[in-house]
Amino acid sequence: MSILRRIKEKLKNIIRSLKRTAWAVVPQKKVKQEARKPAEDKKAFMGQQETAVGKTKFYTAEEHGASRGMPQELPAGYGEDKIILQVRDPRWLHSYWEVTSPTYDRLKRDLKDDFHKAKRLLRVYDVSQIIFNGNNAHSFFDIQVSEYTNNWYIDTSGPGRSWCVDFGLLLPDGRFMTIVRSNTVSTPIEGPSWITDEEWMIPEEMFARLYGMGFGLGRSSAVGKAWQEKVKKELFSGALSSGASVASPVRGAREDRKFWLVVNTELIVYGATEPDAKVYVQDKQIKLKHDGTFSMRFALPNGKQVIPVKAISPDNKEERTITPVVTKETR
Amino acid sequence: MHKGYLCLVLHSHLPYVRHPEHEAFLEEDWLYEAITETYIPLILRLESLMNDRVDFRLTMSLSPTLISMLTDGLLQERYLRHINKLIELSHKEVERTRWQPEFQRLARMYLDNFYQARNTFERFNRNLVFAFKGFQDAGKLEIITCGATHGFFPLMDVCRESVRAQIRVAVSHYESVFGRKPRGIWLPESGYHPGHDEFLKEAGIRYFFTDSHGILHGSPRPKYGVFAPVYCKGTGVASFGRDLESSKQVWSSVDGYPGDYAYREFYRDIGFDLDYEYIKPYIHPDGVRINTGIKYYRITGNGNKEPYNPDWARDRAGDHAGNFMFNREKQVEYLYELMQRKPIIVSPYDAELFGHWWYEGPMWLEFLIRKVVFDQKTIRLTTPSEYLAENPRNQVITPSLSSWGWKGYSEMWLQGQNDWIYRHLHAASGRMTELVKSFPCAQGLLKRGLQQALRELLLAQSSDWAFIMGTGTHIPYAVRRTKEHLLRFNRIYEEVKSNSIDEQWLKDIESKDNIFPDIDYRAHQ
Repeated sequence: MSILRRIKEKLKNIIRSLKRTAWAVVPQKKVKQEARKPAEDKKAFMGQQETAVGKTKFYTAEEHGASRGMPQELPAGYGEDKIILQVRDPRWLHSYWEVTSPTYDRLKRDLKDDFHKAKRLLRVYDVSQIIFNGNNAHSFFDIQVSEYTNNWYIDTSGPGRSWCVDFGLLLPDGRFMTIVRSNTVSTPIEGPSWITDEEWMIPEEMFARLYGMGFGLGRSSAVGKAWQEKVKKELFSGALSSGASVASPVRGAREDRKFWLVVNTELIVYGATEPDAKVYVQDKQIKLKHDGTFSMRFALPNGKQVIPVKAISPDNKEERTITPVVTKETR
Repeated sequence: MHKGYLCLVLHSHLPYVRHPEHEAFLEEDWLYEAITETYIPLILRLESLMNDRVDFRLTMSLSPTLISMLTDGLLQERYLRHINKLIELSHKEVERTRWQPEFQRLARMYLDNFYQARNTFERFNRNLVFAFKGFQDAGKLEIITCGATHGFFPLMDVCRESVRAQIRVAVSHYESVFGRKPRGIWLPESGYHPGHDEFLKEAGIRYFFTDSHGILHGSPRPKYGVFAPVYCKGTGVASFGRDLESSKQVWSSVDGYPGDYAYREFYRDIGFDLDYEYIKPYIHPDGVRINTGIKYYRITGNGNKEPYNPDWARDRAGDHAGNFMFNREKQVEYLYELMQRKPIIVSPYDAELFGHWWYEGPMWLEFLIRKVVFDQKTIRLTTPSEYLAENPRNQVITPSLSSWGWKGYSEMWLQGQNDWIYRHLHAASGRMTELVKSFPCAQGLLKRGLQQALRELLLAQSSDWAFIMGTGTHIPYAVRRTKEHLLRFNRIYEEVKSNSIDEQWLKDIESKDNIFPDIDYRAHQ
């Protein structure tokens, strides 16, 4: 065991040193240094962009459709005593359970007063590498839950282990009575495996490098340097390296404005003539509506706009021109 | 002689959203936007590569829900209506911006885009899946499948029959569309749980992808990290690990390419910016402002946005393609020395990232492919199938539980806002298994009931609903979809059990939730 532990420490150190030579892809925004463990840094990155980008797929209007109404409710239970255990991540599990009224009635009958004095418990067993028979767990811990709770997140602090949970009653005399027992789950390990196979042996140092690269973290090769220099020379001058923040899908541009004001102006030019006349606005022919009216709408920038509107009679014999002149200034 | 491989993977998926009961339905826009902004631009870019006889390789997953929507007559009809409205709006925009040349130019750009989208859509007889199939038949694109409705497999491990159904239904759907079995799969959300490779093997699938830590934390330790695939212990199905370095350059909005100030800003859309009365005919009939897809600004930085300049953006996309390639070359050279074997760099992205969110993405992809094919000799584009044919000898390990979601495991789909769904989903899975056992060879109305039961269950399982609840926007719709499908499932279950199927009602939901017409309900066992 101690040899393994030493290898583990060594590997950790190598990886840590790789991470330290942090490798700026594009000049990075300075993030406030919070006292976080490196492992958490990694996790904070993982999947964050994927989440943000995924969100934009569903970016339409917010909170719409109160008017559509909700379908009726799902059943509160399915009439079966059961408890299910699922893995959320290397350390956390989630469990939900259902105990039917007939089962509680039976317990009440059997236990009488003790039922009401009993505490409801989740008993979490470490059953790594054994066939659990109810008595041979490596260890267990208890979580007391209220009468109305029907699910719970369990912190096992134990990556790479197997777990099983009982929901039951802790009786006044200290006995634990199981009502339902869950399935067994295994949490993944949080780092590289200590198991290697002979045919595919790899030196520690080399694995550490590959490991770091796989996560896009550290760099000790020419890759990083060359990349950084090329970036500096060719691509990013001024604008990006200033560290100004870029509109990020994580935030959403609308959220970081507090008080704000936008004023735009548009100009509507409308009028009417004979329905079969030809009309030109700024020398460009426009289409009339059936009744001979027309309406046009323009974004109005600062400055002067001269807008000759010319109508020509259907027989091309008569012509009328009216020329509005509009000046806009913004102060 | 090349020293390594680059495997570009685009994962395209949208949940099944189709509401014949409403004349206009807001969430159907997810599909229409993706067609205009992602799928058609990608098709046009790949066509341009084909026309120039560029020998490229690209891997792309098309989820069965997406394929089903792209081939659905009603949605095709509605897409035409949608794009016609946009064309009308763009014409108005060209007029409106007459005195603002920097904007009028952009209005014309969108008008061209929309015309081109309509033409492309009609050129393929409204069925864009044909376009992708064409690239596959030409040997350039490898289309892989995904979970039938994009259910998140790790949270189905307590009812593995559902994992099997997600895979089986997807595979037979793929076969009916492409005329052959899929070689690979994109596990929904890249969610892998040890043991699920058994179902892949059973369905004839030869490879899948995991996130980096799926391989790196596998056991025994993978000799080449994520730079060579591994075979799963016991099944021999190959698993390719994601390279996060190349991922980050494209995904990250902060230090990745899409955040560049020259690129178009996603969040400024005329649907929100323009006068309400003017824009009203082009937003939702209920009067809710929505994105139109017409966006005039570039990212610029904080505060005042400046008008988008397509020429700058194009140049920058070229620079970024060159930069990406340069980095992969260096990465491959370094790895080749270290590994004494040709590394494979696997770079997967959400397809909808390209074009929809990163407007210049499809252009960047085309530039990158051209550069890799013509401008260097260190790396070669490949697909997983091609790689495995050339490099059949790989290490055998058991990959680790993993996903590409937030924090790398299951938390995105299992947290305070969405954990309530599993109690119901798992109960429904158990009931479905029970029905299949009770009726191993149903016919007639009973068979229709069982088929619809499986459709409803699969639709309820889409990871998108839990995802949306988890992100905190659009929650009512996601909740509604989850409940609706589960309620329909439960009703069918009761009716089948009591031998009293209401045919009229069944017919109604068959027409609403009409996905997978030939579904084999026995896939769920």
